[in-house]
Amino acid sequence: MPSLNPDRWRALSPYLDEALELPTADRAAWLASVGARDADLAADLRAMLVEQDLVHESGFMEGAALAPGLAPMPSLEGQVLGAYRLVSPIGQGGMGSVWLAERCDGRFEGRAAVKLLNTALIGRAGEERFTREGTILARVRHPRIAHLIDAGVSPTGQPYLVLEYVDGQRIDQYCDEHALGVDARLRLFLDVLEAVAHAHANLVVHRDIKPANVLVSVDGQVKLLDFGIAKLIERNAEWDATSSAGQSALTREGGAALTPEFAAPEQLSGGDVTTATDVYALGVLLYVLLSGQHPAGRALHTPATLIRAIVETDPPRVSDAVVSQDEPQEALAHHATQCRTTPGRLSRALRGDLDTIVAKALKKDASERYASVTAMADDLGRSLRHEPIGALPDTLRYRTVRFVQRHVRGVAASVAVVVLIVGMTAIYTIRLSAERDRAQKEAAKAARISEALTGLLTGADPIANRATGEGLTVRGLLDAGAAQMQKELEGQPEAQAEILTVMGRLYRRFGAFDKAQALLEQALASGRAVYGTEHPRLALTLNDLGALLAEKGAYATAGSSLEEALSMRRRIHGPEHRDVAVTLAELGRVYQDQGLNARAEPLHREALAIRRKVLGEDDRETAVSLSDVASVLRLNGDLSGAESFLRQCLELNRKTRGDDHPNTAMTLHDLGLVAAGRADFASAESLFQQAMDIQRKSLGDKHPVVATSLNSLSHVWLAQGKHAAAASALREALDIAVPVLGGDHQLVAIYTINLASVYLARREPAAAEALLREGLRIRALSPEVVPNRRRILSEDDWSVGATKSLLGAALTGLGRYDEAEAVLLEARRDLEAMPAPRKPEMKATIARLVQLYDAWGKPDKAAAHRAQLAS
Amino acid sequence: MNTTLEAPGAVVDEPVVADGLFNTLYAELHRLARREVHRRGSVSGLGVTTVLHEAYLSMSGTEGTVFVDHARFLAYAARVMRGLIIDDVRRRRSAKRGGLFALTALGTDHAYSVANPEALTQIGDALDELATVEPDLAEIVDLKFFCGFSFIEIAAMRGVSERTIQRNWEKGRLYLHHAIAAQPAAMGIHAVTQP
Repeated sequence: MPSLNPDRWRALSPYLDEALELPTADRAAWLASVGARDADLAADLRAMLVEQDLVHESGFMEGAALAPGLAPMPSLEGQVLGAYRLVSPIGQGGMGSVWLAERCDGRFEGRAAVKLLNTALIGRAGEERFTREGTILARVRHPRIAHLIDAGVSPTGQPYLVLEYVDGQRIDQYCDEHALGVDARLRLFLDVLEAVAHAHANLVVHRDIKPANVLVSVDGQVKLLDFGIAKLIERNAEWDATSSAGQSALTREGGAALTPEFAAPEQLSGGDVTTATDVYALGVLLYVLLSGQHPAGRALHTPATLIRAIVETDPPRVSDAVVSQDEPQEALAHHATQCRTTPGRLSRALRGDLDTIVAKALKKDASERYASVTAMADDLGRSLRHEPIGALPDTLRYRTVRFVQRHVRGVAASVAVVVLIVGMTAIYTIRLSAERDRAQKEAAKAARISEALTGLLTGADPIANRATGEGLTVRGLLDAGAAQMQKELEGQPEAQAEILTVMGRLYRRFGAFDKAQALLEQALASGRAVYGTEHPRLALTLNDLGALLAEKGAYATAGSSLEEALSMRRRIHGPEHRDVAVTLAELGRVYQDQGLNARAEPLHREALAIRRKVLGEDDRETAVSLSDVASVLRLNGDLSGAESFLRQCLELNRKTRGDDHPNTAMTLHDLGLVAAGRADFASAESLFQQAMDIQRKSLGDKHPVVATSLNSLSHVWLAQGKHAAAASALREALDIAVPVLGGDHQLVAIYTINLASVYLARREPAAAEALLREGLRIRALSPEVVPNRRRILSEDDWSVGATKSLLGAALTGLGRYDEAEAVLLEARRDLEAMPAPRKPEMKATIARLVQLYDAWGKPDKAAAHRAQLAS
Repeated sequence: MNTTLEAPGAVVDEPVVADGLFNTLYAELHRLARREVHRRGSVSGLGVTTVLHEAYLSMSGTEGTVFVDHARFLAYAARVMRGLIIDDVRRRRSAKRGGLFALTALGTDHAYSVANPEALTQIGDALDELATVEPDLAEIVDLKFFCGFSFIEIAAMRGVSERTIQRNWEKGRLYLHHAIAAQPAAMGIHAVTQP
């Protein structure tokens, strides 16, 4: 036959499969029947089969390319090891092979699994590891752990282990084939936990928990297998001071052959392997059993993304995974069927406690996971009995969810409302952590959160989507939800107070301040009706309302709301409580925003003292307070004081968050501001640059925080006369900020005005004028239109005067002297009216007036202003 | 159950990644093989499987190269190993000095002695073609012929029956035989079919 081209080969291939399965004697008849349909095909096949005979006769490629020893190993079938005869291979692992064996000494009937160490590994580290498996198994005897029967070395030097033979299937396949519902899966999983807990109690960490190592026998018994890379916890190992009892430090064995899909972050990053490592793998296993998906989702497809997913990315909540829009819908439906339910119902069953339990087991930081397998089992048990679970990462979120279960479901709320609440609680969680992390600017957060919320809502339940139809917006959903909640919760003031507070926060995030205020005030009224004058929840609402009012620029009412929250929290919790510190910090910022640094400073210092005492020197919130105090000091002109706090803050951030965390970057940036304040531009430049590098790396080039750093760098460059660099930095800042924040954002105004001053320095007054007018337009917008105003410029009012002063200079440059004079005089009036004197700006304005009158040919006016400058 | 856990061909799917990976693995296998030569004079016998297992252990500890599982690692590494062996043979032929691998002669009565470097190179070329047509078959040839894994071992790695592996091996080697037999007639495997 002619030579093969790929298409021809592919056409022949399936027929060859068939032919090669046939006894030689049947080939002729088979070829004849193929030939009856397709003569050419049959001819080619006949030629190939003739060649096949030739291949055999010639021994083509028999053996291997390399020397003896590589030839196929003689079959071990029938070999006798101790009291067992090998029957057939049942598995192959990195370490060796596993055989089904039968007892052959006639004393007992019975089958066993015999594990043989790969002969290639004899005499190497593998042998030591193999022996250790025997040692370990000998000490963990438990009905749910496949036990060790015998161990030895064959006459030929082959080490072997004889293990209990488990006739069963992988736990995930078992669950699916038996179509176990969620509760049945949990009960089975509890058996796994029991086995692992037993191993831990005997100081053994399994380290390779995965479906393939957890079998369910035909009679439904769970059996944990393969302690091949298990490790003994050394009794005299140093106890890890930060972890709770039961977890000890364990040195990681170099190059352990782990299974990446089930590996904990610390196994990949080389951290200590402890019982918490098994807790993580159990979390993955539970995730798989409940959702039918791996927590890393699509990241599983390539090794690099898998690692990133394990080490960095928090997995989607298991209840979201089962209705994920990113997964093939048939697959989701199929999995739900195997759990005897529908995707939507499954999601609702998993939502809440099970989400919390799985998430806690999957924490990246080992010390945040369940302290023990038993603790995890306790929570799962409680969840099965519908009792409140014990360990909770976030009590507020939990409370809201519990509330929803207690009330909303009781009132037979529609799916849409339930979905909405889940969305809100997620946001609520984000909000809380954000509150603790004010060092991180919040400009972009609203955008990110609305995105997350949209994702949650649209991804959560198709019914919800249908209900709202086209033109679905988060605001629309929120509005619908708010209306419905208010109606359904009528006559339940307690519930109303809680939910309205949550919704108020949400509206605040979207910049819908009036709506937020209305909800929070309503929540406050309901709360006062239920709780009377004093209650932690009431204090929370007051705190939120105060923060909101401050954001609107209503500082007086903000202050009184926060003062009330503060005194209430002090009465309820005592003077030293983390909630007290939150309100103190909030109030401190309100004073700071009004330029009242003297009043702000003691509040920030008190918050810092409380956090140091209650949360510890090394807490992240303590770092935030350090940064708050530093910012007050810096604005007061105490640069060395500010620097000392910032250095502490930097050290703490590096320690608790790492060198590459955005908060670390922000602290470096603030240190740069201190250096710039001292006119130490070289240091400032380097600090801003470091900060920006981290931000670009951790948040991406398009994050608004990068724009902040570019802006700061432009200051330094402008001061150094590097006009081109300053201008291009500010242009990049605007390119980042406008799409994300919108053209009316105060940050956009600031970058625009700064770019104008670069143009002025380059003597391009026309370009400067246009930019300054745009800047002033935005600065004049009310805070209602522009959220986050107060966070952008601390003492923002003077900046309007300063901008007018710049505009005057531009107009002078353009020869429009009348206009210039009017603008400059207005600027001077604005600056004079400031509560705190702005000397540099005043001086610059007067100097600009001198310039104007000189250019205008009015020497006496120029002289008069010159005299003011000198004084 | 779910399909995500059984992500197929994770490593080989992405050419860019695979290239980097190929080079890294190649260097690692070469390093281990040289150490083996240092110890025993050449890599032979159990040497290759040892080298592969050790490469897995050493590479699974390296950041950025975690293989989805041991079996997939071996399949991929076997291809790299083939390249290493053939390169070694070529280098030896030109430099006329001892190489890393001891090649066995399978008996003079066999038409295709692998002791013949020419034949080995031809097999390598034909395997590259096979890898584009039926990658599964090429992988099995790499594992068996170049790395010395047994049918049982390969079957266990891939989770299929030994019989399937054996049949695929037969097909693979038939393809190679056919391709090489066509060569002396100066016809490439992809040559246009003659009438």
